[in-house]
Amino acid sequence: MPDLRGSFGEAPDHLLTRWFGTPDLHRLEVYESKTGGYKALRKALLEMPPADITGEIKRSGLRGRGGAGFATGTKWGFINRDAPGPKYVVVNADESEPGTSKDRYIMENSPHLLLEGIMIAAYAVGANQAWMYIRGEYDKPYRMVVEAISEARAKGYLGPKPMGKDYPLDIQLYRGHGAYICGEETALLESLEGKRAQPRSRPPFPAVKGAWGRPTLLNNVETLATVPWILNNGGAEYVKLGTEKSPGTRLMSVSGNVRKPGVYEVELGQTFRHVIMELAGGPPEGRSVKVFWPGGSSAPVLPASMLDTTTDMEALAAARSMGGSGGVIVMDDSHCVVRAAARLLRFYAHESCGKCTPCRVGSDWAVRTYDRILANEGSRVELGILERVADGLQNGRCLCGLGDSAGWVIDSTFRHFREEYEDHALRHTCNVGAVAAHA
Amino acid sequence: MSTLPEHVLDEIRELPAKYPQHRSAVMPALDLAQEELGYLTPEAMSEVATALQLDPGYVEGVATFYTLFHLKPIGKHNFYMCTNLSCMLRGSNEIVDHLKGAIGVHEAGEVSKDGLFSYEEVECLGACEFAPMLRLDHQYHYDLTPQIIDSLIEERRNPPPAPLPPKPKPRARKPKSA
Repeated sequence: MPDLRGSFGEAPDHLLTRWFGTPDLHRLEVYESKTGGYKALRKALLEMPPADITGEIKRSGLRGRGGAGFATGTKWGFINRDAPGPKYVVVNADESEPGTSKDRYIMENSPHLLLEGIMIAAYAVGANQAWMYIRGEYDKPYRMVVEAISEARAKGYLGPKPMGKDYPLDIQLYRGHGAYICGEETALLESLEGKRAQPRSRPPFPAVKGAWGRPTLLNNVETLATVPWILNNGGAEYVKLGTEKSPGTRLMSVSGNVRKPGVYEVELGQTFRHVIMELAGGPPEGRSVKVFWPGGSSAPVLPASMLDTTTDMEALAAARSMGGSGGVIVMDDSHCVVRAAARLLRFYAHESCGKCTPCRVGSDWAVRTYDRILANEGSRVELGILERVADGLQNGRCLCGLGDSAGWVIDSTFRHFREEYEDHALRHTCNVGAVAAHA
Repeated sequence: MSTLPEHVLDEIRELPAKYPQHRSAVMPALDLAQEELGYLTPEAMSEVATALQLDPGYVEGVATFYTLFHLKPIGKHNFYMCTNLSCMLRGSNEIVDHLKGAIGVHEAGEVSKDGLFSYEEVECLGACEFAPMLRLDHQYHYDLTPQIIDSLIEERRNPPPAPLPPKPKPRARKPKSA
């Protein structure tokens, strides 16, 4: 059995993870015979005009599971299927958002589920070639996907005539080399083209000019892995789950101070209380939840008092946060918010690609300011600097979302935990007692 | 006399054909060079550039952007220690301190005296439900404790003896002609 910490088995909300845990699910034969795998691909290739496939995805209301939550069917519709010349599907398997491990969960447990989704997407948008960009550190998922691809080729599902249909399909892999910024779609494309991964200005959008200058559909692993279920059951079935604007389920990787960290499949609209306290077992004995990041480290934090916020994107937006990557990081009351924010700012500063000034310089200012505060050298001046830097990073001043994310960490921890910042900067104490006051 | 053996350069020259544009071959090519040498020397990068018909400065620009390319020697076994938030909340800083003591280095990037070990702190490796975790020799290790660190080190200092090769089958002797 693969490493499995999270959802598997039969449950009304297990659309993706229903068969996870089945012995040898990663083998094509098991995926096909036991779970009805590749039925959706057969249906797509042999029974559905491409426009109908995209229509079904639109009807499902599926939204991208990588971070931005853009409507998947709409994105597919942006590609002009009839444009001459090559088009590509590029799979974003560069999962690097802190606290996020759901795509790894899919690739390690059911690589064929992902491949099936990729093939359907390629056919729908008129691409014959898909490129999967997988982060370099993912050795095991890489090996498993490589093996799955060779099984699919041997079976003829990838090749000149998949399922007997005269429509050549192939999937190639490209390994990343350690850069968070590659999760940003245009930076990923630069990297795939063999360059330093610095985001492009848009327009042109990838749908018009993407990989190697060709029309390109970019989707996240989980998004594509959801596609077979939708084709098998229909978009109308999918919208029965979740909320009106955030239909379906999504995988949430819950980590940090919980008793049962894991990757859980959750119907959208469930509360974070359900996810953190029930599925993940709540904080360790004797501790309480202090704060959580609802969608990766880039999603603005919410304090424990907001545990009843629901997981759909609208509720999260109303709470001034976002669903992001589905990575839920939980921190209990034995940890210091300022230290956690400082650690994350070090991350954003390290990963800033350096192309645009607000992000390159702003994140570095933030790191140095946090260092002074945590060395008990802070004052009102430092608090003021953090606020100004946070503002400078946000609201479209940066070329991509990395700058905003760094700003949101500062901004949201300030908003909910101003007292802790003042303890550190003005009184040189820490309310969890981790830092001794010099004075 | 080149730094990279001819067979590696041949492999590198074959890479561009796999991609719609030859530039995409630069990272797979640097992988091959790094695998051969352990890290990327300026000479190796310039040989990669020549083999791919790219500018050496361009190749170096790519190599310096990505953290999985090493421009300085590292230990034979390099520990990639996740210290991002999910791991930090479950004690990764203490694990790193223990590792430093166990391999006898003071800071990230320093190579142990026997040349076997080094470590670096890395950002989230995407296995947060198993925090604290690390990557070593192309494998993830989960739910780290000081004991696990010690045994990972021990296994590499004193690797168990390799299984004996199977005994060769006795060759069928030609019947001696009398």
